[in-house]
Amino acid sequence: MRSKAGVLLFAAMVCGLIIGLATMGIAQEESLLRINFHWPSRLDPAVGLEFNASSAYVNLYDALVYPVPDGVILHAAESYEVSKDNLTYIFKLHKGIKFHSGNEMTAEDVKFSMDRLLEIGEGFSYLYLGKVDHTEVIDKYTVSFTLNVSFGPFLSSLIRLYILEKASVMANLKDGPYGSFGDYGKEFLLTHDAGSGAYMLKEMGPGEYVLMEKFAGYWGEILPNAPDLVKFVREPSAVTVKTMMARRELEITTPWLAKETYQDMAKIPGVEVVSWSNGFTEYEMWNTKKPPTDDIHFRKALNWMLDWEQVLTGIYPGWTQAAGPIAHNLPGFKEGLFQYYQDMDKAREELQKSKYADQLEGLKVTLGANSLVPRMEQFALMLQANAAEFGIDVEIIKMPWGKMVEVVGSIETNPNGMHINVAPHYPEAGSMLAAKYHSNSAGTWEQSEYLLSDEIDALIDDALATIDQDERFRKYGLLQEVLVELAPSMFIVELLEEHAYQAAYVDWSALLDNPSTIMGYNYDCRYIEVYPDRIP
Amino acid sequence: MSFSTYLVRRLMHSILVLFGISILVFLIARVLPGDPARVALGPRAPEETVQRWREWMHLDEPLHVQYYYWLANAIHGDLGISLYSRQNVAIDIKTYFPATAELALFAGLIMTVFGVLFGAISARYSNTWVDNIVRIGSYVGVVTPAFIFGILFLLLFGLVLKILPTTGRLGYSTAAPPIITGMVTIDSLITVNFAAFLDALKHLLMPATALALGPMAQEARITRASMSDNLKKDYMLLVSAQGIPERLINFKYLLKPSLIPTVSILGLDFAALLGNAFLVELIFGWPGLSRYGIQTMLLSDLNAITGVVMVLGIVFTTVNILVDIVVAYLDPRIRLTGERLQ
Repeated sequence: MRSKAGVLLFAAMVCGLIIGLATMGIAQEESLLRINFHWPSRLDPAVGLEFNASSAYVNLYDALVYPVPDGVILHAAESYEVSKDNLTYIFKLHKGIKFHSGNEMTAEDVKFSMDRLLEIGEGFSYLYLGKVDHTEVIDKYTVSFTLNVSFGPFLSSLIRLYILEKASVMANLKDGPYGSFGDYGKEFLLTHDAGSGAYMLKEMGPGEYVLMEKFAGYWGEILPNAPDLVKFVREPSAVTVKTMMARRELEITTPWLAKETYQDMAKIPGVEVVSWSNGFTEYEMWNTKKPPTDDIHFRKALNWMLDWEQVLTGIYPGWTQAAGPIAHNLPGFKEGLFQYYQDMDKAREELQKSKYADQLEGLKVTLGANSLVPRMEQFALMLQANAAEFGIDVEIIKMPWGKMVEVVGSIETNPNGMHINVAPHYPEAGSMLAAKYHSNSAGTWEQSEYLLSDEIDALIDDALATIDQDERFRKYGLLQEVLVELAPSMFIVELLEEHAYQAAYVDWSALLDNPSTIMGYNYDCRYIEVYPDRIP
Repeated sequence: MSFSTYLVRRLMHSILVLFGISILVFLIARVLPGDPARVALGPRAPEETVQRWREWMHLDEPLHVQYYYWLANAIHGDLGISLYSRQNVAIDIKTYFPATAELALFAGLIMTVFGVLFGAISARYSNTWVDNIVRIGSYVGVVTPAFIFGILFLLLFGLVLKILPTTGRLGYSTAAPPIITGMVTIDSLITVNFAAFLDALKHLLMPATALALGPMAQEARITRASMSDNLKKDYMLLVSAQGIPERLINFKYLLKPSLIPTVSILGLDFAALLGNAFLVELIFGWPGLSRYGIQTMLLSDLNAITGVVMVLGIVFTTVNILVDIVVAYLDPRIRLTGERLQ
């Protein structure tokens, strides 16, 4: 009897502990914006280029220019001029821009940031490597960049040159491989910022979150109800994200959740789901140097035989078919390009024209797909079914991302098709065209087509070297027409970036009325307003 | 052979085992697909930069040379740079291990206390409704993965009742205690910060319980079976006949010898908690070593993979040695064997 009483007493104590803990005060709501991101979140603008890193840079740092829907506008730069030979860009900085340390931004900091980026050679450095010859300080507020080659989108590309405070970095050097610069402050910038952005790093919870607070000394525009604190929280599981949204512990979700998860969250009062075309395009990249996809007619036949309607309604519901090699909202996009639809007769015609016409039965096509992305396998299965009608054997090879990056490294290991999506790195068609089809990028995951065409290279180089924007865009258009005709890739869909957010008390409209196609810029938190008094 | 000699020998064996593990893991990590330097630096990094990384990390050297560099540095506490975090793996382990250790310790506590308690109650009230409930609960616990419990707890206590926090180790309005051990509950107790302690405990409750339920059910089943066996032994009849109080019989003559198989399994289960914590860490946004380990494996982060597996290996071998000591304490035959051999 006493034992039973003891058991009951123990059970009561456990319940009491749970209730006691549960009734402790729940965190007080403040003007706080919490966004889910992947981890690690890099703070060093010379190292990262991922989605989370880009979003952090936008908030912690300033660049000379800022992206807008039709290009870029000046930001930290007050004015600029270009030399007659189009090789020297001179920028005058706004006076009075303060770093988070309180020191003023000068031309020396801009030079240091570019030199550091080029020396480290990671992150967005590829935008300037081989193009920027040297950077020079003309006076305290004037800096010039001298290029090796004429590069029309240079101004646009400067959205990725985030300016660090030289003194702050130099005061925190450690031993490293960069000679007198030691580690160039890389260790320091793992857990600190050296920027002048609207937000400054407050706290880093390793593996957990990045907490930023509004910078009182910010020189630029901040909307009146921009959050006091911004927290990039590492993404937990989907069910946790849903729970956090329901409890108002999260304001904006990641874009990588399943469609059903967004549909569930849309049912939470005050939560809305938004989506926009973010400039990514998803491709089936044909290995143009490997049989049978080395034959242009065979590639066109694959385009014709695909059941596009089923692909767009069943596998990519709500997404739009890509209207060419780049997304429609990227400056320099060419309208009116030809789009494929399913036509088995035309597929047959093209197959007859191909050099494989008499060996179709049992002809093998290998398709690589990311094993963690179900839609990519579903797409491959659809093409497999369509190709089977012509006796073509499509083999699907699922592999992890690391393996995909490895196999595209050589023509031999690269399968016939690789299903990958690619994003622009600066707001112009040239960014995508060069990444996707210039010989320089062959063998990277952005170009497993191995187009290796001198003609295409020349067209891309010529377009990129053109300073006049209208003329450059005309050349981009011509390139897009040529690429559609060559069919080196299947232009599948423009990716929709989808988020659930707390529409009841978060106003994201300043950014989402005209969403940016540049990674990270839709999370410029000074343009997102939070109203804690409206929390349901 | 004295017991202390036996322990020294076990220790030496463990060092050999760890050495073997280091070679094995080192080799396995290096046959994972993907060029780690290229994966780390991204597709657009110039080849010179990627090559500099390869040289810096000795990835262009033969495997035995790579292993030599790794071992020589590891002895000095340098486990190499993680491609994932871009800092020394030793720093990463120091950052992430305490979170998982704290989770595992609390889960271990729950598993041990409740596992033994429920097993003992079940054996004591054998074939009654109490026993039936514990046994059914044990079956459910054993067959249900920890992440299912995690999701159920999250939905019940987080979404429906809204009484426990869903993610992280502390609420954002709670000031974190200074880092001493890295375990928030312990650090907050050391610094006499009870607000942080209670908040940390709140955050621990769901993930630790979810992680503990499976092994707890296992312990309950083993304890019950062991006690039921011992209950049928003659010496139990003897001690009852001698009029020894029931409480003394239960704890001294029944529970203590019955714990030997439980403790053996407890050791293994505790060490396994560290490795099995991945999904629980994912669900509860827990910044621990298991999640770090999985992420680094997906990125072919060679140094980090090797470092994480070595840490888990060290925990396993340490726990095994501790189990040996506890079992020796509980089982006089082991101590006596040692003395007799002497």
